[in-house]
Parts: sequence; structure tokens; C-alpha cells
Amino acid sequence: MSRVFHVTVGDRRRPPQTAPAPAGVPVAELGPGGGDERGPGIVAGFLAPHPPHLIYAENPPQNEPRSRGGWELLRWAYQEARRRLRERHRPDVIVVHAPHWITMVGHHVNCVPNPRGLSVEPIFPHLLRYRYDFRTDVELATAIADCAADAGLVTRKLTNPGVRVDYATIGALHLLNPDWDIPVVSLSANNNPYFYSDADLEQMERLGAATRRAVEQTGRRAVLAGSNSLSHLHWDREPDLPEDMAAEHPYDDHQYRWDMDLLTLVRAGRTRELRAFLPRHIEATAAEVKAGSLSWLLSALGWPEIPGDVLGYGTIIGTGNAVIEWDPASPARPHPAPPGWAPGPDDADRPRPMTGARS
Amino acid sequence: MTVVGAALVPGMPHLLAAEPAPSWKLLADAARQAGRDLRAAGPDAFVVLSTQWFTVLGHQFQVDPNPRGHHVDENWYAYDYGTLDYDLRVDVELAEAWACQAEDMGFQARRTRYDGFPVDTGTVVAGKLVDPDRSRPIALVSCNLYAAAGDLGRIAEAAALAAGKLGRRVAFVAVSGLSSGLIQRWIEPAEDRFEDAGHDAWNRRVLDLLAAGRTDEVLALREEYAREAQADSQLRALAFLAGSGACDRPARVLEYGPVWGTGAAVVTWLDG
Repeated sequence: MSRVFHVTVGDRRRPPQTAPAPAGVPVAELGPGGGDERGPGIVAGFLAPHPPHLIYAENPPQNEPRSRGGWELLRWAYQEARRRLRERHRPDVIVVHAPHWITMVGHHVNCVPNPRGLSVEPIFPHLLRYRYDFRTDVELATAIADCAADAGLVTRKLTNPGVRVDYATIGALHLLNPDWDIPVVSLSANNNPYFYSDADLEQMERLGAATRRAVEQTGRRAVLAGSNSLSHLHWDREPDLPEDMAAEHPYDDHQYRWDMDLLTLVRAGRTRELRAFLPRHIEATAAEVKAGSLSWLLSALGWPEIPGDVLGYGTIIGTGNAVIEWDPASPARPHPAPPGWAPGPDDADRPRPMTGARS
Repeated sequence: MTVVGAALVPGMPHLLAAEPAPSWKLLADAARQAGRDLRAAGPDAFVVLSTQWFTVLGHQFQVDPNPRGHHVDENWYAYDYGTLDYDLRVDVELAEAWACQAEDMGFQARRTRYDGFPVDTGTVVAGKLVDPDRSRPIALVSCNLYAAAGDLGRIAEAAALAAGKLGRRVAFVAVSGLSSGLIQRWIEPAEDRFEDAGHDAWNRRVLDLLAAGRTDEVLALREEYAREAQADSQLRALAFLAGSGACDRPARVLEYGPVWGTGAAVVTWLDG
């Protein structure tokens, strides 16, 4: 099994900005090589879904199971995300919020300098048995935990190296940076979605603002990754061959249409409306964004009224997944919604669930 | 008789704390008592479901004969009870027969045997309390949260059928809490209590019905209970135990109390 690469944390640190640019305002200049010449701060955010099927399909050396591929459109979207990360954003650190490090009390920040081990995923052990070995930006991790506590959130700094890193953290980070040569800060999801508790999105927004303050205080140039799928009802059994794409399609038309409405708001840059739409989308589709990763991400960016660039959308065991980039310095071209369009499909023709999901 | 009894026990690691809250200690003692009572009924093996091993695709059966390791809980790692060593004895013959029976009944049964597979906190905690000397092997299945709850009853039925074919006597153990609303702050053990009186009331209602032998009424209330009191995994654990056939009699509620604000109870179904 190959080992992943290391770099020393903080060796590309930049001095703190004296006055952070307002969120959502394009301020960057592209350098001669196309790189973003901005100083520190949050330079971009990605919605970065994590289903282990994507890593499984990539067949990286860190993962033990082998596949014949599959889910190419989403993987090609990640390919483009990786290119932008490396050529344009060039971050000091990637900060990830992941829904499968489920913490029942408080928002936890991984402050272990060098998490490493084998992550056998209890839900998908046949797809993900991944050997991880990465560097944490401990100074930023500590600052995020402190800023979150200052904002009134219950927090905890994880310093016990024995905690297994979850697949949502590994999934988003591997797919954005399979070389693992950029330091990381990983945040838990303080909720228990599988136990019928609803995520408190207001707390996630406070956590996002605290993350932004910590990034600015420490002078980091950061990219954020919200490790969430969209609609989240799915099959309760899988095909004999997991990558059998003949079996892959939206769980139902209802979920698909709600996802498309969310993406329409994203592409139009109607972020304030998106903020109000998220609870409806969660209610209608059991969306995984209830874990708060997208609210955290957009709050950290200041809910910018800029279009997100939808790099790809696809389903995985029926769930909706989109790779989206928000780049305040170089926003995507807006795609206005059709005249008269309003988000939220008519549910009158909603099909009945095909299984007893969540009942 | 193939099925000799059943028990519902909590899986929160607090029950193993060096300095427990009063309710944690009472619950731990009760779980030990439940283990003694079940073992006295003479099972050859325990059939176990833990809601903390939750899955979403198919039903996973542990077929590693000896899962062992060092588990650090991702939420409670900062406490003495957050780090657990485990060394399980799995009845692989029973687990395999169970998986085959489940397949014959139309379910997707997935065998789990992987080095480094992370056994969940609930399974480890329950094992240390119910059968600390590992006197009986166990057969483990995951809790599929996307399957209908009734499916878990059928999965339990499959276990009883498989055990019968092998001539095994088995006791069923479901590892689950009741209401799952945790106190959302760091507390000292002595501060533990129910902060939501509605959750407490729902838990007591459910336990009273079980003690009266009205299991079917509780199953009918399951979804309402889940909505009103955030019941752990929508009380799928009871659907599982009921499927074993062991819950057709009044239950004995050995203990009930809070664990970090959640509801926890030790309940047994035994003859006599």
C-alpha cells in the first residue's frame, strides 16, 4: 500500500490581511500564470460530495478495493475542481466540514498533527478501506475551535490520535487533492441525522463565520469544502456489481426536480434565496445538507450573491450529488432562471417512496 | 425452545465510566443482571443488533470469527470510557446460516469480514456488561436505517429459524437507547438528567406498555414516538426483538434513567 505525501504545515503562510475584503466582492487579480494573486482569506469554496463510490471508482493506491470505474461525470467534475484548486486557488489549507464525523455533543475540530491509519468504512466496507496519512494545520484548527467557542458554540479539540477518520472527510479531501500535499483542518458535524434529530443550521452559520475569522486571524489562504450530497433518499440494497451504471438513476423524479431547483438558484447567483430554500429542500428530500456543511460553507463565504459553478451533477445509489465551486474573485457566468420560475416543485404529483426509507 | 429470551440494553459508553453518574451505575448493574438472567436460560449464543452499527444498504452480518482491536469513540474520546478494547467471539456458523436464511427470505445479506473493521461502541459496551467473560459466542447484524422497520423483525425471525436448523438455543440482545436528545453541553456526571420532560414521559409510556405485555401497541406507536422523542433509530431495536418471538409476554423493566440526557433502559423478556 503506498503512502500519501506530506508537506510541512504552515510553510506557505502569508501575513494576515489588515482589512479582509467583503464577502462576495470580486477583488482578485489573475496573475500571469492564471493564478489568483489575492492574499490570505477564503479564496474559494466547493460543495464536495463524498460517497465512497467515487474513491472506489478512482482505484487510488490508498484504497484496497478495486473497481471497473463508474460515476464518471462526477469524477470528471472533480478533475476540474482539482485543476482549479492547484492552478488558480493555490491554498495553504483545505478546511472540510463532514457529516460522517458525527459528534453528538459539540462541534469538534481535529487538532491531531498527523492523523494516519486505516479507515474501514462500517457502512461501505466493500468500497472503502482507505489508508490515510495527512497533516493538520494545527494552528488554524485551534483558532477555529477558539473562534467557535467565542461565538457561543459548544466545541472540543480532538487531540486523541486514535479516532478513525471518517469517509466523508476522506472522500472530499481525496477527491479534491489525492496527493494530500496541502494541510487540512477537519470539522465534525454536530448533529445526529440518523437518529432523527434535525441539524441546527443557525449553529452551522455561526461556525462558518467563526471559520472565516480564524482564517483571517491566522493569515491563511484557505479553500473550504462542504462534504455534502444533496437529495438523500436512496436504495436499501445495491446491485451485485456496485459500479453497474445501468442501475444508477435518481431515487425518484421528485428528488431530482428539487435538486435541479436548488442548482438553478446556485447557477443564477440567488444565494439569499438559496439560504431560505435549503430548509425546504431538506424537508422535501431528506437532503444531506441538513448536516450543515453547505450552510457552513456559504456562511464562511458571506452568502455571496454570485453564481456557483456547477461542475457536475450525478446520482449515487439514487442520491443527488453536485460538485460546485464558488469563487468570489472570479465568479461563474450567471445563468438566470426562466421568467416566472419559482423554486420548489409542485408536490401534487409526488411519487410514493419506493422503500420504507427513514420510516 | 430455540429462543430462550431477549433483552434491550443501552449502548452508551458512560455505563463503563470509572466515576459514573448514579443512573449510569444503576443501568450498568442492571445490564449485568440482564446478562446473568439470559445466561441462566441456557443459550448457546447471543444474537445481537446494535443501532450504533447502522448501515443503509442491505443487512450486514459479521462473519469474522474474532474481531478485536482498540476502539476510540469519535464523540467521547476525551473520557476514560471513550477508549475501549474489544475481543469478540463470533459464532460464524450461526452468522452464515442466518445470512443464508435472510437471503432465502428475499433480503440482501452482506457478509462483513475485514481486517480493521470498526466494531461500534454499542456492541462493545453491551458485550462487556451482558457477558463479560465471553461465555457465549455472538452473531451480529447491522441496523439498516433505510429498510422498513418491519424488515428487521423478519431479520430476527431469520436468526431464530437459522438457529433452529443448527440446533442452537439463542438469546436476543438489542443494543439501543430510547429517546436520543442529548444534553448539548459538556456536563459532569452528577448533572445528568432529562432536560425534556416530554421525552421522559414518552419513555415511561413505552416502558409501561412493554411491562404490561403490550408490545404490539408500542410498535404501533413507534413512528409517533420517534417524532416526539427522537427515539433511537426510530425504535427499530424493538421491531428486531419482537421478530424473535420473545416479546410475546410482559417485559421486566430492570432499570430506566438518563445517560447524558438520553433515555436508557434495561428490559428483559424471559419465562417465569
